[in-house]
Amino acid sequence: MNVTVFGEGIERVAVREITPSITWITHCLGDQVTDYYADFFAGMENPEEFVSNRVVDYPYSAFIIKDDKSILFDTIAPRQRANVLKALELALGDRSLDYIWISHVELPHGGNAAAIQKQYPDARLVTMRGGDHYGLHGLDDALLVAPGDVIELGQHTIEMVDALFGDHGLTQWAYERTTGFFYSADWGHNLHEPSRGQCFMFVDEMEATGYTREQFVDDVKVNARIQFPWLAWTDVDEIAAAVEKFLQQYDIRIFAPSHGNVIRKDPQKYLKLFPEAMRQAVALAARAAR
Amino acid sequence: MIRNVTEDLVQLGACVEGDHGHEAVRVYVLLNNGRPILIDCGSHLHRYSLMQELEEVLDGSTPEYVFLTHTELPHSGNLPQIASRWPDIKVMVSHIMTRYIEIVPVLPLAQITTVFPDTTLELAGRKFLFLSALLKDQPSTHWIYDIKTRALFTGDGFGYYHAADKCDQFADEIAGGIREEQFRAYQVNVFRHMRWVIPEKFNADLDKVFQRLDVSILAPTHGDAIRTEIPVHLARVKQAVTKISNDFRHGGR
Repeated sequence: MNVTVFGEGIERVAVREITPSITWITHCLGDQVTDYYADFFAGMENPEEFVSNRVVDYPYSAFIIKDDKSILFDTIAPRQRANVLKALELALGDRSLDYIWISHVELPHGGNAAAIQKQYPDARLVTMRGGDHYGLHGLDDALLVAPGDVIELGQHTIEMVDALFGDHGLTQWAYERTTGFFYSADWGHNLHEPSRGQCFMFVDEMEATGYTREQFVDDVKVNARIQFPWLAWTDVDEIAAAVEKFLQQYDIRIFAPSHGNVIRKDPQKYLKLFPEAMRQAVALAARAAR
Repeated sequence: MIRNVTEDLVQLGACVEGDHGHEAVRVYVLLNNGRPILIDCGSHLHRYSLMQELEEVLDGSTPEYVFLTHTELPHSGNLPQIASRWPDIKVMVSHIMTRYIEIVPVLPLAQITTVFPDTTLELAGRKFLFLSALLKDQPSTHWIYDIKTRALFTGDGFGYYHAADKCDQFADEIAGGIREEQFRAYQVNVFRHMRWVIPEKFNADLDKVFQRLDVSILAPTHGDAIRTEIPVHLARVKQAVTKISNDFRHGGR
């Protein structure tokens, strides 16, 4: 595993290449995970509804696609700022950064936008049209985009995707048409175990250390329960149908969530589990709301 | 602008102007007999005027707590200035919050406490109930009920846009109060998940909150305080939820 790690503990940031044109930049806690997430599953309202009580880590990620132009998806948080800037320098080398694309305005997603723009003054902020008052969120003068809009990088084309499930009102997803890279922001996470050495692994590598599809369903549903508590008031069939329709619409070959490890091999093995995982998430949220 | 909601509860902050009208960005201060508590701490955009207002209202007293309804920058962006001015201040946030990464790193983590929903705590000599927000634009949003004034601090919930000539006016100072369309225009923008929500289910749970709590003041961050006719305004918010959901249902989710 060829990974470069800058810093340590709550400030560390790792850089790993997914393909020669796509780089994963991620923060997770590693050895310090028990300080924050020791009871991730046990602390839920329905702990019996999960297949295992793993001590899991919760990554915060950004991604770069390099071409004639380059784009950064999300920024990680101010706590990791110094190491994010080092990671960008490593990932970009001599290239410029042309776009800083923000999925939504929470600090772990957009909290370093201004600092990165200061380092790369030609980079244009990109965020979702429809919101108002982006100055309040530190995103003045952003290019506002809507689902279906595209940004051409050269060989790569970024398509803005309507976020079916956002934990913040103004959330967008992104799909790259050439590679099938899909950035899902806060949806569809897997969780990894530092004690099994799974930090910075791709999911196919995690499988070799014990990660299972049953655990994946657990991870998707526990995250959906936390991120989207409003699922309690939805129709389970409508949610599952929306997921199925979405998966038919996009040929996803690299699934890249903000808070999970990257799925780069045989993604269908996991993508096909999403409708059922979301069904379970709706049921879980509804029971928790009672 | 400084306005007294009650003798003990003060509303501060400014507005921003956009395509949808004016949006208030409020900070509430409970004076609390010289042991002040802030609810949300405002935007970095308003930091200079806000810190002046805080100095005037606090009149030399030191705030003990900031209760953050959630940590989006419109609610926490002024925390660096507050932490610099009052470095011993303690912050209360929802248990969903991961303290080390979801809040601007300007205070020691030991000064940031997470609270589970349905928890009643006595803080600065005063009792508060922390409860999970029903209207939330961030998962870690909670509502805070001040048992003494019966004020419910709702973050983005019960927010609304207002006209340029209605800045800083309480609902009871506006003929007819806050209209359903004002709530709806704000909610459709902020709570996009409403496209999936079945309004009857949501509204029933919202009613349960108000059946449980005797609310006399609604204190939204993105609106001015609502001090009268709480049931009327609650009904309008529920109507807004219903219309938003139905519009999505008929227009496609």
